[in-house]
Amino acid sequence: MLLTLDILTTAAILFIVSIGLLAIFGVLKIINFAHGAWLTVGAYCAVVTAKLGLNPWAALPLAFAVGAALGGLAEHFIIRPLYRRPLDAILATWGLGIVVGQLVTLAFGRDVQLTPNLYAGTVEILGVDYSAYRLVAFGIALAIGTLFALIIERTRLGLSARAVIMNETLARSLGIDTGRVRLVVFMIGAGFAGLAGVLLTPLTSVDPNMGVSWLIGAFMLVMVADASYLALAAACLVFGAAQVLISTFVSPILGSIAIAVLAALVLRISPKGFSRA
Amino acid sequence: MVKWSLVGAAALALAATAGQAADGKPIVIGIPIGLSGANSVVAPSVVQSAELAVEEINAKGGVLGRKLVLEVADDASGAAGAQKAFDSLIYQKKVDVLISMETSAARNAGLPAVTKGKVPYIYTSFYEGHSCNRNMFVNAWVPEQQVPPVVDAFKAKGAKTYFLIGSDYAFGRGMLGFAKSYVEKTGGKVLGEEYLPMDGSDWTAIISKLKEAKPDALITSTAGGAPNVTLTKQLRGAGVTLPFANLALDEGTAKSMGADAEGVYLSASYVTGIDSPENKAFLAAMQKKFGAELRTPNDLSVPEYEAIYLYKAAVEKAGGTETAKVLEALPTVSVTGPRGTITMSKQHHAPLTMYLGQIQKDGTVKVAGTFTDVDPGAQCPKLP
Amino acid sequence: MLETLPVTERAAAAPGRRLSRAAPFVVAALAALALWIAPLFLDTFAVNVLTRSMIYAVLAVTVDLLWGFAGILTFGQAAFFGIGAYATAMILAAYGATPLGIAAAVAAALVAPALLGLAVGWLSFYHRSTPLYASVISLVVPIVVVQLIYSGGEWTGSSSGLVGFDVLPFEIEGYFRLAALFLIVVTLAAWILVRADAGRALVALRDNEARCAYLGLNPRRLQIRLTAALAGIAGLAGFLFANASGVVAPENAGFLFGTELVIWVALGGRGTLLGPVLGTIAIDYLAANLSGDLPFLWQLLLGTAFVAIIILLPGGLADLVGRLWRALPVGRREPAPPRLVARVAGTEATGTGIPILKVENLAKAYGALTVLEGIDLEIRAGELVSLVGPNGAGKTTLMRCLSDGTEPFKGAIAVGGTPITGLTPNRIVGLGVGRKFQVASVFESLSVADCLRLARAPHDGLNPVGQAETLGLPQAALDVLRMTGLDRLLTRPTRLLSHGQKQALELAMVVALEPRLILLDEPTAGLTKAERTTIGTVLKALTAGGRIAAVLVEHDLDFVREISSRIVVLHQGRLVLDGTVEDVVGSELVRTIYSGGAHG
Repeated sequence: MLLTLDILTTAAILFIVSIGLLAIFGVLKIINFAHGAWLTVGAYCAVVTAKLGLNPWAALPLAFAVGAALGGLAEHFIIRPLYRRPLDAILATWGLGIVVGQLVTLAFGRDVQLTPNLYAGTVEILGVDYSAYRLVAFGIALAIGTLFALIIERTRLGLSARAVIMNETLARSLGIDTGRVRLVVFMIGAGFAGLAGVLLTPLTSVDPNMGVSWLIGAFMLVMVADASYLALAAACLVFGAAQVLISTFVSPILGSIAIAVLAALVLRISPKGFSRA
Repeated sequence: MVKWSLVGAAALALAATAGQAADGKPIVIGIPIGLSGANSVVAPSVVQSAELAVEEINAKGGVLGRKLVLEVADDASGAAGAQKAFDSLIYQKKVDVLISMETSAARNAGLPAVTKGKVPYIYTSFYEGHSCNRNMFVNAWVPEQQVPPVVDAFKAKGAKTYFLIGSDYAFGRGMLGFAKSYVEKTGGKVLGEEYLPMDGSDWTAIISKLKEAKPDALITSTAGGAPNVTLTKQLRGAGVTLPFANLALDEGTAKSMGADAEGVYLSASYVTGIDSPENKAFLAAMQKKFGAELRTPNDLSVPEYEAIYLYKAAVEKAGGTETAKVLEALPTVSVTGPRGTITMSKQHHAPLTMYLGQIQKDGTVKVAGTFTDVDPGAQCPKLP
Repeated sequence: MLETLPVTERAAAAPGRRLSRAAPFVVAALAALALWIAPLFLDTFAVNVLTRSMIYAVLAVTVDLLWGFAGILTFGQAAFFGIGAYATAMILAAYGATPLGIAAAVAAALVAPALLGLAVGWLSFYHRSTPLYASVISLVVPIVVVQLIYSGGEWTGSSSGLVGFDVLPFEIEGYFRLAALFLIVVTLAAWILVRADAGRALVALRDNEARCAYLGLNPRRLQIRLTAALAGIAGLAGFLFANASGVVAPENAGFLFGTELVIWVALGGRGTLLGPVLGTIAIDYLAANLSGDLPFLWQLLLGTAFVAIIILLPGGLADLVGRLWRALPVGRREPAPPRLVARVAGTEATGTGIPILKVENLAKAYGALTVLEGIDLEIRAGELVSLVGPNGAGKTTLMRCLSDGTEPFKGAIAVGGTPITGLTPNRIVGLGVGRKFQVASVFESLSVADCLRLARAPHDGLNPVGQAETLGLPQAALDVLRMTGLDRLLTRPTRLLSHGQKQALELAMVVALEPRLILLDEPTAGLTKAERTTIGTVLKALTAGGRIAAVLVEHDLDFVREISSRIVVLHQGRLVLDGTVEDVVGSELVRTIYSGGAHG
């Protein structure tokens, strides 16, 4: 029972962390190495919210807004000039991550920051005491997934984004302003990453490097998912389960590299990853 | 042979020092420390206490009539940075001694330079033990000193079974390895010993194992800062309310954890609440010197302060800064500081008074037990 | 019969060439001399720091070869370096610095990383793997390696690293000189390689991997070998590092160090070798001096500079210097073109019985969309078959199936009797198929001569240490060059060629492969009338010999009528007509299809 809950909530957290990255990867075809910095910025929004004495949940909209705004700037000044050099764009986002991390350090110091708990306590569910927040996080992951699905399936932006994902040249020839789609998607992706940063605060320390430890797992999940949010959900479940099972029955150390190694092998054997289904 | 220095500023500095009379030449203390990287949270407090010690000593006429000067270099909390920092201090700044706390990786990376450069080195950080070098002395605790107070206290409360959780690195494994042997030696039982990589942030599976094992007490030893906070948050989130000792916890980190840290035990050779005239005078002097800029003194910064006094005593006994003589004098001198009277007499390590503390609701530490002059055990059997 | 053709007037540049060939050796010798005596003038601090910087610079050279030249963005060199260093430290700790121990350490530091490099190469490079995927794998490798080091306990010293093992009996000056020599040797070898013809293959790989495969080169094998070889070099650097510093730590293998290497190479100037070397030494030395005073600011400055360089000056600082240099009169020097030589075509007349191409019941679908269905086709030597049909008829898809056996299709395709199902493009090229793409696919950063030389690589090989002075091509390829005037532009970078010239160059490259079957996708699209005529003439001449067959997709029916020996009409994925020019041109069906009547 505990195992099932662990798997489901781990998958949910992985999904929350990687959904913003997926949006950007799908449309812009680049892995955003600054993703970790975006998570960090989001978490520091929670710190600021706490310092202002606001309700901790108010950090969510703030983090989304800050993430989106910074994402917009980054897309315009860094990603756009490198449109034709995707590997360079990746490198530039890595550099951006360093810069953002150092700016956060200069502004807040390197110390671990105190953040209020979003939802404390435990809940008894099917005979086990379980962390209430992890269950809340599972619900939030479902909500984010649904919201994402609605944007993709039901809005004009979603339609344009899908067109760009499938065939950018064709989309442009159909009169879609692909530049604008890229900008808006990057902003949304960065916004979601900021959101994820806030949602991580009850689980992890808030410090300038907090994002880095989530990066590689998120990269691999997104590459396996290949621009499909349903495939991402599946990948989070499968690899999250692998991580929990290996950690529980073999060794947490192997468990912590399970996602990266297994995803690499999956991609080697089936280059389209989980998106084929 | 003429040696050029590639850096103009350093050349100027050398020229300036060379201009002074040999006997009036200041004694240079090198502090290689993690101004950036993992140790950057604690580093400022260490530098502050060094500054206070130097100021106090200089105000009273220095050491053998010579002033003390500090040279701080960033080791980026790692091996590569430490190599640069040690090289810079030893060969460029020509320091007379190195006194500092560092990560184990940085300390090890610096040791070859210490040996080649023939300078004394006082290591002021608690660590996993058994690091031995002729030129190095340690005035902070090792597992043999820190773990027994915790286990003894839990045993007194009736704990028989333990669960151990740590970060996968030398300190984490060293501390818990010793804890395990000590628990077993004193008749207890370890139900599980689990590690997560240092940068790991998901303790879920380990916490579930802990809950299923149902031990009487929990002992953790993670990397400082982030992993410590992450583990504690997730333990509290999962509703773990066992007697819980955190071997890597300091007062400052406890504060940043807020309510999550309440009730946690820690074991240290220094807590701010030590009730001695030396400690009160030290705290007052720190407050006066740094005011609002003050970083709370802690178990890593106070040994730095005391180590400078130990070095002063050794130089005075040796009659100069010559390395061989200072190394000979170092294990014989004693200094009474905020942590009590310290002598690095046991195989380059020091017997220390240890304090068992418990974190209160407001983040302060209440002393729950005092253990006088705990012996470091056989750390370096090959050294005197 | 080997006919030599003095094509250009500027062939008498031999002395200059000899000079430029000797230049790297002279520079290397001078650098070695300077670095040999440098410890006498430098203080201990500088000697120590520069020793490490020079070892790091060796790594920068390997990163530059992989990323700057071959286009493989890697963060993994740190892992190979770390493994070499740890292997050295562990062996020296166990056996001491005895001759045997040192030999074992060198061997392990070279072999262990190289083997891992092979594995990583296998994981990173396969048919249709993306550069992004390879980069992400290179990021995973150091993370896994560091994790293993951490959990290695006393073996690896966990987070504390290993210290106190025996090392080579050198003073710090000795290590400085050793590191300097190693750096100079590696840089010189890399320099010779990239200036040699074989080095062009690396650039070709970066520019246009698909074209490499369609020239019969095996991009995967090249990438995997390069990865393994440079992993070995990085391991040797690790050996030197472990000895010089007397300590190894997990961060030496970490991905942060891997990204640092990339930053140094980017700032110094990727693809220039000297840029990364000087960049690494300068930045690392500067960091040793400055980072103590401003730890966070230093990182911030480095990060900002990195982003700015990537966006504004992708060639790095070396590019800036290079531009200034070329602006000077002495800096401008035109390289001498190779002499063109005719080669007698090697392929003998094929066995008469077997058709060159045989397609049986071919079908292909993308999901629910059927693109090709029930195609049967046989083509024999000497035929020039045009594939016509409206847009979306499946012509390009058919061409793709013919040249890439890994395309999922049903039915059977055989070239010269060999079934091609599952074969990668380079192996199909080996069967004698040459493919010209619709959009000219050449190597943009190479010269015309280099492109042609690569096309000859499967036949003649590539000189690994120098530049061949002659360029042997089959007569037909020479004809293409002469008719289009490309023979006078051999040293011109292809990115400066006109659209038509690029098309002609690609055709010449394909012809230079001496294929038995040439596939051409709209070879005349966007060409002038004169260029079209030229290409028609060449194709007719090629197939007239009776040894070669050609299949071309074409829209220009006049052109088709002029040159074809046979026309095949595709419509909605089916082969609807297969006959002589007269049959097809006179057909009612074709007229209906082209008038749009049958479009729905």
